[in-house]
Amino acid sequence: MKAWILRSFKKGIITSKFPKGKNESASPWSTLPIYTKGRQDPYCPVDAIAEGRVDANRCISCGLCYPEYEPSTDIHGSVSSVSVKALKKSIRLYQIDVGTCGACNVEIMTIASPQYDIARLGISFTNTPRQADALLVSGILTENMREPLKRAYEAMAEPRIVFAVGACAISGSLLGKAVSEALRVDVTVPGCPPDPFTIIDAVQKARGFK
Amino acid sequence: MRQKDIAFIESGNSLYTLDRFTELPVLRAQSNTTGMQRENISTPDNNTLSVFPYGPSSGGMVESVYFDILTQGERIQKVSYDAGYKNRSIKLWGLSMSEALLRIERMNGVHSAAYSSMFCNICESGIGLDVPEEIGYLRVAMMEAERISSHLFVASRLTGGASQNIAHMNILLLREELLRTFASVFGHRYFFGVNRIGGIGRPVDIKGFQKKVRQISDEYKEIFRTLMDSRVFIDRLDKSAIIRGENSSGPTMRGAGIKKDGRNSHRYYEDLEFQTITADGGDALARFIVRSGEIQESAGIIEQVLSHAENLKMNISVNHEGSAFMSGGYMETPSGDASMIIKTESGKLVAMGFRSPSILNMEAFAESIGGNTFADFLFGYESLGIWICEMGDLL
Repeated sequence: MKAWILRSFKKGIITSKFPKGKNESASPWSTLPIYTKGRQDPYCPVDAIAEGRVDANRCISCGLCYPEYEPSTDIHGSVSSVSVKALKKSIRLYQIDVGTCGACNVEIMTIASPQYDIARLGISFTNTPRQADALLVSGILTENMREPLKRAYEAMAEPRIVFAVGACAISGSLLGKAVSEALRVDVTVPGCPPDPFTIIDAVQKARGFK
Repeated sequence: MRQKDIAFIESGNSLYTLDRFTELPVLRAQSNTTGMQRENISTPDNNTLSVFPYGPSSGGMVESVYFDILTQGERIQKVSYDAGYKNRSIKLWGLSMSEALLRIERMNGVHSAAYSSMFCNICESGIGLDVPEEIGYLRVAMMEAERISSHLFVASRLTGGASQNIAHMNILLLREELLRTFASVFGHRYFFGVNRIGGIGRPVDIKGFQKKVRQISDEYKEIFRTLMDSRVFIDRLDKSAIIRGENSSGPTMRGAGIKKDGRNSHRYYEDLEFQTITADGGDALARFIVRSGEIQESAGIIEQVLSHAENLKMNISVNHEGSAFMSGGYMETPSGDASMIIKTESGKLVAMGFRSPSILNMEAFAESIGGNTFADFLFGYESLGIWICEMGDLL
């Protein structure tokens, strides 16, 4: 027991002040690339680049557009079409994987680690969609997960917010179909996988904090 | 006993039984799920067995996977699984090697450095490319760093499951520090886009990387020692899901005392000094001890290779259009040995074969968990580091 206490004192406070303060880190290539020099429209395997701009919903963080494009390191790329003020005090999230490579799942779970500590913002995970305010869907829409996804959505109480987390869920990326083919998506969280700060930022936007 | 119950009991474990999607009552639309959560089956000796359907999307599991858990009281009799729900059927046929690499990287995003390094190595051997030695060293550094991160993830799952909350948070803290270091050095927390056939895709500044990795591995060593003093933690893992023999892969097999590690015979690891960590017992505790030991070894390997890999330059102007070859290879991923064989014509993939360690480990888990209690299920599963994503098809 002593060892744990001493260790905690040695470490000090490591939790981010985000969103009030600035994000301490960003996974560069998980943020939107921006044009810097040379050819405006270099090769992009998911056709995300047109006329010098990158479509955040399609970008898979492959970096093939480098050095013409470089990462912006801006973690505020999510877009929310809802602003549910009733969830300002607390929001419960249920994560559902419909066809991921595993990275989005792990990044979603990472927001509960001490550096982010989402509990301080009133955000928590739940083990059942029955108790969830929001569904965090990640991965491409695989045929066999259509029904479980629909069932999870139907099990939720109103207002049920749907987040498409990562390029696969938003656009199908390289590998398949977008989640929007099965459900209405309220919030898009771009990145492959999205940075944990981007996920927190998206949740806050859906709660009407920005 | 209904026909489907007989089928379930007799069928045993099987992969990709997608047809069962319509058979299993819990997944039928508009069915009465309450009555179907627990189905009682009478055996000839009048003991009552219960089938607990679990998944495919369940709180507490990292990925979507379905289990039928056959129990007698609290004791698990048998586990049958269906890993096919999230099968993405990744299509590689007809793609160029560079296009295929992007998909292989996403076969298992958490082990993308190992998968992409394996694929690049196979392609480079097939084309006959002479890749600079420093690139091989950098790939080893990425794979070993990824191994540490993956093992920390497994350790966090085990400590979390055992309600060792302070240890759990301390391990998550270390893992996040490590991922942030990956982001600043390699530009991505999961190494996406770093490997290219013939080299690397962007400049990498490795300054200070090995020092940070050593600091994290040393801190983990302290946590591990403290956990090994915890009777509660050890009791939760001890004798859970015992796996013996060679029907598994990676740390799972080494946890059964078998000294096999794909790195010992891989050319990337020639001239590198490291120990193959093994443990006795074959249970969740042995696998945890192996993973913890491997974290220290991986930190040592990174120190060795990065002393050779300074001044890395991008080398991506490789012309492999029109190449035709058949080539294969393997790589020791954090979960075990992955292997692949590909055939190309005119620079495009026309045939491929692939085996991931999770296929073997999942079979081993399903066989080993019988006889354990419900409470052991999580420790058994998580201690194997199984990734469902890598069990899908490559077409």
